[in-house]
Amino acid sequence: MKTKSLPSIVAVVVLAALLLAACGQAAPSAAPTEAGPCLTIGALHGGPINDAGYNQAMHESVMAIQESIPCVKIIEAENVPEEAGATSTMENMIQQGAQMIIATAFNHQYPALELSAKYPEVIFEHAGGWEMGPNFANFFGNPPDTWYLMGVAAGLMTESDQLGFVAAFPLGWTLTFINAFELGAQSVNPDAETTVAYTFAWGDAAKEADATNSLINQGADVVTMHVDSPATVISTAESRGVYSIGFQSLAAQQFAPENWISGTGYTLGDKLTWLASTVIDGTWEPIFLRCGIEDGCMAMAPFGPKVPQEVKDEVDRVRADIAAGNLVVFAGPIVDQEGTVKVADGEELSADAMGSVDWFVEGVNGSPK
Amino acid sequence: MTPLALLGVISSAIFSGTSLLYTTLGEIVGERSGIVNLGLEGVLLVSAASGFAASAVSGNPYVGVLVAMLAGGLMNLVLGYLVVTRKANQLASGLALMFFGFGLSAWIGRAYVGAKIVGLPRLSLPGLSNLPILYGSLLSFDPLIYLVLPTAVLVWWVLFRTRWGLSLRAVGEAPDTAFAAGRNPGRIRYRALLVGGLLAGVGAAHLSIAYAMNWTEYMTAGRGFIAIALVIFSKWHPLRAIVGALLFSGAVAFQLLLQSSGIQVSPFLLNTVPYLLTLLVLIGWGGRRKYAAPASLGRVYQGTE
Repeated sequence: MKTKSLPSIVAVVVLAALLLAACGQAAPSAAPTEAGPCLTIGALHGGPINDAGYNQAMHESVMAIQESIPCVKIIEAENVPEEAGATSTMENMIQQGAQMIIATAFNHQYPALELSAKYPEVIFEHAGGWEMGPNFANFFGNPPDTWYLMGVAAGLMTESDQLGFVAAFPLGWTLTFINAFELGAQSVNPDAETTVAYTFAWGDAAKEADATNSLINQGADVVTMHVDSPATVISTAESRGVYSIGFQSLAAQQFAPENWISGTGYTLGDKLTWLASTVIDGTWEPIFLRCGIEDGCMAMAPFGPKVPQEVKDEVDRVRADIAAGNLVVFAGPIVDQEGTVKVADGEELSADAMGSVDWFVEGVNGSPK
Repeated sequence: MTPLALLGVISSAIFSGTSLLYTTLGEIVGERSGIVNLGLEGVLLVSAASGFAASAVSGNPYVGVLVAMLAGGLMNLVLGYLVVTRKANQLASGLALMFFGFGLSAWIGRAYVGAKIVGLPRLSLPGLSNLPILYGSLLSFDPLIYLVLPTAVLVWWVLFRTRWGLSLRAVGEAPDTAFAAGRNPGRIRYRALLVGGLLAGVGAAHLSIAYAMNWTEYMTAGRGFIAIALVIFSKWHPLRAIVGALLFSGAVAFQLLLQSSGIQVSPFLLNTVPYLLTLLVLIGWGGRRKYAAPASLGRVYQGTE
């Protein structure tokens, strides 16, 4: 009998050892200085920080604080997608002495807002949210202008006049990005159309490959996306020999050595560094911070090898126009797919309205719902 | 709806159905020997993660495919140890294997999220290379896609035309009788699980190395369960599994095509298609002996001690 139970004991021990090994992954990246940190920052992300996408861009932005202010200590946690996990992670960070919390996932907003009431002495910054409080504010890049520039590049590069856009969900901001992209393409190529395919997930790689293939099979020869990691969409486009445009992180370019046009990503390091410095000197105030490409919060990746000089020059010219205020992306008249006027002549779409857009501009194929 | 668009749907269905078909074939082999592997989802994840990691490290996608196959085989042998040697309950063991696979794959793949790998090459069939470029790219597939139909025929041939397949099916129907006829049910089930695991490994490799060219946590998103449903849909027959895999992946591709015409079919509803098909098949042919499940599927073979 004794010899018979031995294998099961061994199996249980091996399993337990493997489980322990798998759990021991959440190591904080701490670099305390001798005198103790001048500020401890807790940063949490919804996904893995090496995803070549959104989470990597946010991770690099947070890490930039430490490069400029070496005395800060950063406690970082990744793969915290859910609200319950976010709450306990932030509580844990505060127990470890964090006086500033940077939460970068959509689902982190309300847990952070609740904790901001419980810990009034801790500063909370959320990426991309809309709620405000005495010690709770948010920051984000402002991508529509850069999406317009990407549209200009795509409209000039396409030969089939068909552009493909892989999107996770029909959310207000996503629709605004798609609209800006199509408006940019139309401005240089009146025949350009953008076709949208939804995956209904932020990180379902197989669905992203399905959607990319479907768009290419429908004739698209430029593909771009708004999902967490651009890796699958860009790799798929590259393997089918069609152009791609990246978003979220500038690291996306590595997946398309040949057919890359350009891409944009979040580079919020300088603004986060400034926010951290105001926390250190006690002048922090809750502000609704939005900043674009001219403030250094968004950046454009280098152009790919197949992009001719005229296209680069045209994109630079439009960029200068936007920076000088001569060109406003969502300036009327703008009509939707049904021909209804959404922004009247002489008016502009406000930043508030951009977040709750539920229509596509003329020239987009697909359902905005 | 142009002919090109329809050809596109077929092309998309072939691309995304391949991993599903390999996985389904593997599960058919296992179930024909009497073992249902509810942990298939976990097996796929571990194979996909190991294969992707191996491709990233070695720079060679074929090494990745091989490692994914070995990982799938090993995972299935773990199940074999539980249900054949330890005579544990198959459903409970399968579920445990699945959750083990979730954790293990996340741990293996952790360092390789966002890694760039060399995917499998796309090869055009001879004679198609002078088609217009758009058609050409629709019909140029990677080697694993070209091999999937021959594999299905091979699995059918082995199961229904060889002595090995006869013994395997005999063990799945009546292990006592097979034992009396001089077969070793335990050994045969181990072999069936190994073959099934290798095939699931190819399916997972196609998903992470050839198709998505990316590893993300829980990237199989239910494909293991879809494969189990397709096994029932195909009534444990390798050739009918081809129809099942194409039907499901074709539905996904068609839904994406409809999206561009502004028609939104809920993808959540669409995800129920394989299970609805399975229910229909069960309702339609459930009672017929010819299409019944292997008689001792899911049962523990106690042996003669």
